[in-house]
Amino acid sequence: MNNTVNAKAPPLPSFSENVRQKLFNTPVDSAITIVCAILLVWGLINAVDWIFLSSVWSAEDEPLCREAGGACWSVIDARHRIIFFGLFPYDEHWRSTAACAVMIATIIASCFSWFWTGLRLSVLWVSGFGAFYILMHGGVLGLTEVTPERWGGLALTIFIFAAVSIIGMPLSVVLALGRRSKLPIIARMVGVFIDFFRSLPLLTILFAAAVITPFVLPGWLNGDKLYRVIAGFAIFFACYQAENIRAGLQAIPSGQEEAGLTLGLRYWQRVWHIQIPQAFRNSLPAIVNQFVITFKETSIVTIVGFFEILASAAAAYGTGQWTFYYIEVYVFVGAIYFIFVFSLSRYGAYLEKRLRVGHG
Amino acid sequence: MADADTNNRPAVTMSAVNKWFGEFHVLRDINLEVADGEKIVICGPSGSGKSTLIRCMCKLEDHQRGTINVLGTELNDDVANIDEIRREVGMVFQQFNLFPHMTVMENCTLAQILVRKKSRAEAEDAAIAFLEKVRIPEQADKYPGELSGGQQQRVAIARSLCMNPAILLFDEPTSALDPEMISEVLDVMVSLAEEGMTMVCVTHEMGFARRVADRVIFMDQGEIVEQNNPSDFFDNPQSERTQLFLSQILQH
Repeated sequence: MNNTVNAKAPPLPSFSENVRQKLFNTPVDSAITIVCAILLVWGLINAVDWIFLSSVWSAEDEPLCREAGGACWSVIDARHRIIFFGLFPYDEHWRSTAACAVMIATIIASCFSWFWTGLRLSVLWVSGFGAFYILMHGGVLGLTEVTPERWGGLALTIFIFAAVSIIGMPLSVVLALGRRSKLPIIARMVGVFIDFFRSLPLLTILFAAAVITPFVLPGWLNGDKLYRVIAGFAIFFACYQAENIRAGLQAIPSGQEEAGLTLGLRYWQRVWHIQIPQAFRNSLPAIVNQFVITFKETSIVTIVGFFEILASAAAAYGTGQWTFYYIEVYVFVGAIYFIFVFSLSRYGAYLEKRLRVGHG
Repeated sequence: MADADTNNRPAVTMSAVNKWFGEFHVLRDINLEVADGEKIVICGPSGSGKSTLIRCMCKLEDHQRGTINVLGTELNDDVANIDEIRREVGMVFQQFNLFPHMTVMENCTLAQILVRKKSRAEAEDAAIAFLEKVRIPEQADKYPGELSGGQQQRVAIARSLCMNPAILLFDEPTSALDPEMISEVLDVMVSLAEEGMTMVCVTHEMGFARRVADRVIFMDQGEIVEQNNPSDFFDNPQSERTQLFLSQILQH
């Protein structure tokens, strides 16, 4: 770096100089730096020891766990199928695995800009959900039927997340536009709708969707409990996401709308080509944040009787022999959540960079 | 542009147009006729209603009294009429208002494809032609944020031209530009004027007005105070308000 710097500019400080200035500038700085470093190293050593060095790995070695100082991964070895598949019939676990893979592939594919046209996204998601449903539900193509009450584990978590996102996103755009409508009656009604659902805890909405709506809705509209819960969750998600998108719409200068008008673009053309892309760019951090929260909130469906991954994990250590090893189970499930949520955040960061092109 | 000389009806006719912003009477009894192919420069102190006047011509603002007729169609609340008129009337803004998430090329082709129903290839051919006319074809793949103000304004002009408008309105097109970039935009406007484009320009560029305007209009407090051909307007202003205004902007 240094030798490429213009001769007139002062040289950039070297790495060691930088470290000295930022971390060891005064005696107090040095003390804080050293204490933090010691804590960090100590924590790291203990973690590595617990996870890798003093741990027990296979199911048969479970008796060794009592003496071992580290993690007892035997519980994962023995019980991972419950964590991943919940109550799904044992012989059909491959179907759940394949369904999971299909859904993850669909989510990943829709992250690529090549798919970002209405047609391609619809085809992608319809086929993704179709394949997932056929694999999970069966009853066709010679697959035995497995009703949604018996779906569980990771496949259920991912399905709920994907379904809530895909129903909630378009709904949130409609709500955001509705709340900004020039017709006061529409703006007012959408505003009340959003504020109503935002005022309720997610738990209440899911409970109402699962338990109360069957009494209110006509029978043919009821569907399975899972779909009612997903619909309720999607509305909740959409109300929050709509406010994020509205913030993004609000930040667009009025000149953009005027330029669209003078070019003769109609309302939906201006919305689709001018407003929505800029609104997404403006509020991308908040939008990604809502996805992250939603992924983690899927665990709340356990309250209405679904065995998503966290509930399955509780079941995994719930039987006699394994009751002591709940920490290992939660660390394992935590790692799974982390992989998904961290990927989501990194994708968000990548998108921000990509969409900033030409905006300094 | 093609039917500019085959048509004898005026491009714009405004009669007894009045407009209020709340209590503020921003346009007072405006009577104005813009002939086909005419170039009009409108000047006046800030708040005099000159921008509002041209914004009314493409229905970015509603007027409350009087009639405005553009290309033979009266501007009322009929949405279909307004859409039709807006396609034929181009507008260049002070703040350029390019779409920041699209390349220069996409800015120029969007409305051609969506409104004029052209194929992408046709639209791009037209866009390149107009980008050449404003002398920046080499920037076609850049984003507006990567261009200087002068370049952005020239792209904005090209974007309007891509719709083949019958009338082009300019709302202080050089006011947001650094001084060294003003002339590159004015040069483009001069060449458009020489090609016979019907233009209504709100601007304080008096050199431009002298050079291309058929008529200069001075507005103050929502009224048309004085209008004349450029040489008479500048050398022999009639009203006191015009004299005062000209002395203020020309003294530098």
